[in-house]
Amino acid sequence: MNLLTSLFSLMIFPAGLALILSGLLYEWADRKLVARFQNRVGPRWFQPFADILKLLAKEEIKPSGLDSALFYGLPILALTGALTSALYAPILGLPPIHSFPGDLIVTLYLLSLLTISMGLAGWNASSRFSVIGATRSLTQLFAYEAPFLLALLGPAIAANSWTIRDVSAYAENHWLILTQPVGFVIALIGLMGKLELPPFDAPEAETEIVAGALTEYSGRGLALFTLGKSVELVVAVSLVAAFYLGGIGNPLLFLLKTLGIVLLMSLLQALLTRLRIDQTVGLWWRLGALLALLQILVLILVKGWLA
Amino acid sequence: MTTETLLQRAAELLTPFAKDRARPESNRLDVAISANDLPAAAETLSNADWGYLSAITGMDLAPEADELEALYHFCDKAAVTTLRVRLPRAGRPEIPSISPQIPAAAFFERELGEMLGVTVVGTPDPSRLFLPDDWPEGVYPLRRDFKQEQAAPVETANRPEGGRVGNKFIVPIGPQHPALKEPGHFEFEVDGEIITGARMRLGYVHRGIEKATEERNWIQNLYLLERVCGICSHTHTSVYSQGVEKLAQVETPPRALAIRELVAGLERIHSHLLWLGVAAHEAGFDTLFMYSWRDRETVMNLLEELTGNRVNYSICVLGGVKQDILPEQAASIHQAIGYLEERIRYYLDVVSSDTFFLQRTRGIGTMTLDEAKRFGSLGPTARASGLRRDVRLDSPYGAYTRFPVSIVTDERGDLEARFAVRMKELLVTCSTIRAIVDNLPAGELTTRFPRKIPAGETVSRVEAPRGEVFYFIKSGGGESPTRLKIRTPSLCNWTSVLNKAVGHQLADVPMLIAGMDPCFSCNDRMVTVRGKKDSRSMTWSELREYGIQKYQGRR
Repeated sequence: MNLLTSLFSLMIFPAGLALILSGLLYEWADRKLVARFQNRVGPRWFQPFADILKLLAKEEIKPSGLDSALFYGLPILALTGALTSALYAPILGLPPIHSFPGDLIVTLYLLSLLTISMGLAGWNASSRFSVIGATRSLTQLFAYEAPFLLALLGPAIAANSWTIRDVSAYAENHWLILTQPVGFVIALIGLMGKLELPPFDAPEAETEIVAGALTEYSGRGLALFTLGKSVELVVAVSLVAAFYLGGIGNPLLFLLKTLGIVLLMSLLQALLTRLRIDQTVGLWWRLGALLALLQILVLILVKGWLA
Repeated sequence: MTTETLLQRAAELLTPFAKDRARPESNRLDVAISANDLPAAAETLSNADWGYLSAITGMDLAPEADELEALYHFCDKAAVTTLRVRLPRAGRPEIPSISPQIPAAAFFERELGEMLGVTVVGTPDPSRLFLPDDWPEGVYPLRRDFKQEQAAPVETANRPEGGRVGNKFIVPIGPQHPALKEPGHFEFEVDGEIITGARMRLGYVHRGIEKATEERNWIQNLYLLERVCGICSHTHTSVYSQGVEKLAQVETPPRALAIRELVAGLERIHSHLLWLGVAAHEAGFDTLFMYSWRDRETVMNLLEELTGNRVNYSICVLGGVKQDILPEQAASIHQAIGYLEERIRYYLDVVSSDTFFLQRTRGIGTMTLDEAKRFGSLGPTARASGLRRDVRLDSPYGAYTRFPVSIVTDERGDLEARFAVRMKELLVTCSTIRAIVDNLPAGELTTRFPRKIPAGETVSRVEAPRGEVFYFIKSGGGESPTRLKIRTPSLCNWTSVLNKAVGHQLADVPMLIAGMDPCFSCNDRMVTVRGKKDSRSMTWSELREYGIQKYQGRR
């Protein structure tokens, strides 16, 4: 029976189907908001679904001269990583299904699996655009990963736990955005880096390198990568909302909180110009990492002093 | 210095080389020299800082003479000095390159070589610039005895596209590439993210317009030349009308000239706003792109209201203009200009204060005044480097004496300066447009114009949104021109992009290319290619037949 419920939760709800659907809806919200900020009409609500369906129905073209196993395997790996990470995150305002001490770290690494798969996919392809895109993806990964981790570490230290469930339970009584504002900003911007949204879209800058690492992907492969990204959007937005904006609370309120974060992100996307990859790395290491470290240091000191 | 003293100075400088000298028009000096003296003569002019090389015209003098002629046009303010070099017509004559003295000549020389069959000895890159790869060897489209049948494509191997050179990659951009929604091909050699070399190839949309003008009469050419460029269509009709009116010695009514300047001003606004959007998009700032294109619709609608068309306004006719500006139209011009001026001020503020945007423009692609001179830059690209080059002021034409504009320059020379110069230029344009609308001279719109134009040659120059457009028009006294040479500003600005790209990052390339506001359409206009008979190529009558059938089927 236990196995059955586990399977159900993994395949259908809350992971799996529900996750994918909500991911696509979040993606739509983001696209629509950016469009409205840019004085455009924007897509209708079902456009992301239509895109995915169209891609799934299309022929997948495999370019010659690359490793088939990697070419077909990596999109699946990317989506799997994103879906698995959802098991430990408070999706849609529901408490995480699974939990074990240290699941925060595991979740963060599962989330990075997508970027790493994309990087490998780019390296695997023989196209110049893919290779340059992959290099940029991975360079960017090294830039935002540490500050993002530190930004989520702050609440963990405050809650005295490495478990997502405990941290969000602690956050329910403490709005950590008030005590750790720097961490929230870094987490939010790190999220944009993770999802390669403007201004951190140098890895897929269409005016220079077409579609970056995914240039050679079409059909199913591209659909799986896109889905992976949507799922990652939900998981990461939920994590940030649960950690910084007062825990899970009631699901409706939680939905509003996550949408608030999406709104903030789309506003930043519309406002900012794409950064060059050296500027991205510079920004993260000179400013992001430093501020995050400082915040952790202050946190530890204050905690020690209180105790 | 007046035009007269400038020309006297040029004449003095060129005395040691001159075989013959003539003053065909009050602002022109023609000096015939021998091919061997060419580099020395060019060096003398360039050392004395006498103007800049504006264009090289190649002409086939047959059937009157069995010779070719290459014309090197130097412009300084309103003065035009032309070095005329005669070459034998037989075989493939040789002419020495002046690129070592004047680097800007390289592109002109490539064009001269491939179009007229002249070997330019010592030019840095003699490969084809405009002609397709499958064009047969030894067939030169601008020779008088060229026949369309000679242009049958030959078998060629595919061009090796990019690839790896040691540790370096070659990143191809174009002719079909999302970075450049226009047909030009660039090859950037990159080491990591840094560019170490750049090459380019044009000619993907050649239409053979220069050659085609010789087969159409003076009036038909007006409509053909309007289609040289989809953005500055009015520039081409006005520069052509101005030249032909000069040749025909027809006085154009002042009201017509004022309306021409008005439309040119509106065209400048439309062109610069379009460019602003494209350049912002290249930098990944799509919000600015969407905003500026939305506001550009205001001026497009205004142009449609005034002329009936959004793109090819077709307002110029030989000897005047086609349409008048009515009082109620004046009101809507004022309203539109008021709105646009406010928006342009806002964009000027955005491009000079947005921190993230400035990271992509400040200090990028900096071109010094000396470099701008050496590369032969024109238009806002040159003015952003402090080079005061603007035909509207240097050689006021049309109504620009009555409604002058002020020049906008910037000393910084980087991309930020190019944004600032273009936006400030638009503010000047807005006030000029207001002045014209308020003080439109009364009078006729057109004058009578002859069918045949007396024999002669003339140079006509106009400042397009991108810089000087140069036309050389030669009439043999008949109903159509003997030779019509078009030199558009983009061709002069490429040198600067290719030189400045080296050392920059790959991410800066789209911005650098956009920074000079390239126009591929007006660059490519020389040759018609009719491919082998296959399913994709059609003759005119086949196309017509196809169209009739398609629409009959629909009815």
